[in-house]
Amino acid sequence: MDDVPVHKIQISGPTLASLLHRFSSSPGALHGLLFGHVSISTSSSLSDDPSSASSSVPQPSSTDATTPLLTATITSFLSLPSHLPLPLQSLPNPPSSSASLIGWFSGRRRTPLRPSLNDSTTTHTLSSSTSLSFTPKYSTNQPLSLPPSLFLLLTSPLQDQLIHTHEYKAFQYRISTDSFDPKSLDIINIGPSFRSHYDSFSPNSSFPLIPCELRSSNAMAEDEKRETLGTLKKGLKDQKELNMWAEGFEIGRLNRLMGSESASYTAEVEDLYSKMLAKLDGLTRLVEKSSAKVLEQEHHNMKLRLKVAGLE
Amino acid sequence: MVSDKIPPLISAQLNYLFAHSPFSIKVEQMWSGCKNATLLDHFTFVIPFCLEYIRWDVIYNALYPLAPPDVIFGPEDEHFRPYVSGGDSKNALTDWNSRDPSHLLALILELRDLYRDYQMKRVGEVNDERLKFEISTMLSREGIEMCMTSGLDKPEEVKFAVPLLGMDLNKMVVGSTWRHQQKIYLQVIYPVGRKYSTTPSAPRLKLVSSPELKSWFSVEDSRLPSWVDGMCMAEYLPNLEEMLENQIKDAVALIEVRRKFITALAPLFGRPIEADPVFCRKVSFLCASGTFTFLVHFSLPLQFPKQQPALVLQSSQHFNYQNVPIKSNLVNEYPWSPRWETSEMAERNFDFLAEECLNFKRYCSEIMLQQR
Repeated sequence: MDDVPVHKIQISGPTLASLLHRFSSSPGALHGLLFGHVSISTSSSLSDDPSSASSSVPQPSSTDATTPLLTATITSFLSLPSHLPLPLQSLPNPPSSSASLIGWFSGRRRTPLRPSLNDSTTTHTLSSSTSLSFTPKYSTNQPLSLPPSLFLLLTSPLQDQLIHTHEYKAFQYRISTDSFDPKSLDIINIGPSFRSHYDSFSPNSSFPLIPCELRSSNAMAEDEKRETLGTLKKGLKDQKELNMWAEGFEIGRLNRLMGSESASYTAEVEDLYSKMLAKLDGLTRLVEKSSAKVLEQEHHNMKLRLKVAGLE
Repeated sequence: MVSDKIPPLISAQLNYLFAHSPFSIKVEQMWSGCKNATLLDHFTFVIPFCLEYIRWDVIYNALYPLAPPDVIFGPEDEHFRPYVSGGDSKNALTDWNSRDPSHLLALILELRDLYRDYQMKRVGEVNDERLKFEISTMLSREGIEMCMTSGLDKPEEVKFAVPLLGMDLNKMVVGSTWRHQQKIYLQVIYPVGRKYSTTPSAPRLKLVSSPELKSWFSVEDSRLPSWVDGMCMAEYLPNLEEMLENQIKDAVALIEVRRKFITALAPLFGRPIEADPVFCRKVSFLCASGTFTFLVHFSLPLQFPKQQPALVLQSSQHFNYQNVPIKSNLVNEYPWSPRWETSEMAERNFDFLAEECLNFKRYCSEIMLQQR
């Protein structure tokens, strides 16, 4: 496991906004895991954009030539109330390369913006666990192994204020020096000043791969079919699910938009559209109902909690 | 101090801490960390350490009062990381139980011990020969505390709180009701030596006592022996302790002198309405001169009988416009000699008051006239 300094930490605007929203809407303190990736950046980008040049690498020559420049990017997070333990056991093993556990965060209202007793013990545990370490992208010359050493602290000011509502600070914990090094948190948005990020973009969708091959009469394919009953069942279930979503939009029907039947083109599209709306409407109703149920359960839990605390 | 907006489980822990702490811990500030800010669950504790105070924020979660609290240390202690080394070792947080009110106190005491060790380690790392030597001679003193102070605009200094005198001061005074152990400390502040300076500068010295001790023995009044260049603590402390021991013996003896004086007053003034039975510093009598009844408050200084008692007269019949009884100014200039016998002191006081009360009566009537 290597204790290499991270040069900078990046987070996309929407991710940070959603993290802050989660923090401000939670009834109490919360904490959670930060996922993302760390990439080894090539030396200073040759950009003609002055804004990106100003924020570029400070002095690559003074840092040791062998230490790589690391850039951590937070892509997603997982949050839960802070009295519950961090769900470290339920992490995918081995960690996927697209989103590894790179750190954790803690959000507590109206507290000073510095790591607490619990923050430092948790960060130390994460940083010193070998099982959680991961390999950054593009590490070619020397294999690096990094622990999840990032820590993002979210607080709010001691007095409630109208404009200044949040504070946050990002750290990298260095186990060799036992110190929390403050790191700047770059917020990535869309716009000309973020053009350099287009190059470093890597598509990493977590959408599951659904096997939906075309049924062909190829004899070779028939031979290869040595599916077990389990995979067959799973395939059928997936197919059924897909069919459900495509209900009313069969390929045969789409045929009617072309050729001889295209005379009633408008009526057909309108029909499809209204069906789509009806479907969406049903879906929102489902969401509404389940949200109401969640809220009801949440109220009930709060009542029980207050009872335990002796506050009724 | 503890309001009802603190969840009962947390408030039980606070009350236990205030009642059982071996030194006085205060809560300076409390506020809420909940979204709707109704329940108080964040507290700033002020904890005495090395004759200074450290401020720690104890962060509970009112919604989950069964969860252990978190602690945020002071901004200058960012490298103080208790419980980090040694993964599975037990500490006050690992077997936390919110239903047992003693746990918060145990946590604070454990963290304070670790903090003392942390500061001691920091001081030990200072590269200063003189300091290393002084520490080696003082380290055996039980209860010694030390800390580093440094700031951007301040030179580095090492502070010591050296406990003096092995005797139990609480037992020296009969009938004392002190809850905490009383102690006298010598505060020693060493500037951290520069490599190039040849003669180490003298440390700054100050006597400090626990605040309750002031009613009986004032460290401000005792003059410190002078510090000679090239001296060390091992030479200095025995002299100082001997001096203090004598002064404390005197202070104990003086309590008896004051007690005798108060007893001598009683036959003349009657039974006192109120008297300080432990330190014998205060006594009040109800007196009458003709139809005028009034109270006399005696305050006996620590230097009694060298210094005479200060008197205040308070009328029982005259009130100002706020309905507060009229009082005289502090009277401490009247015939007095420390060489008088105790009984003579009491008699002279009585004679003086017999005259002074007439002046006081006139003074009261004048105020009453002005109010009409």
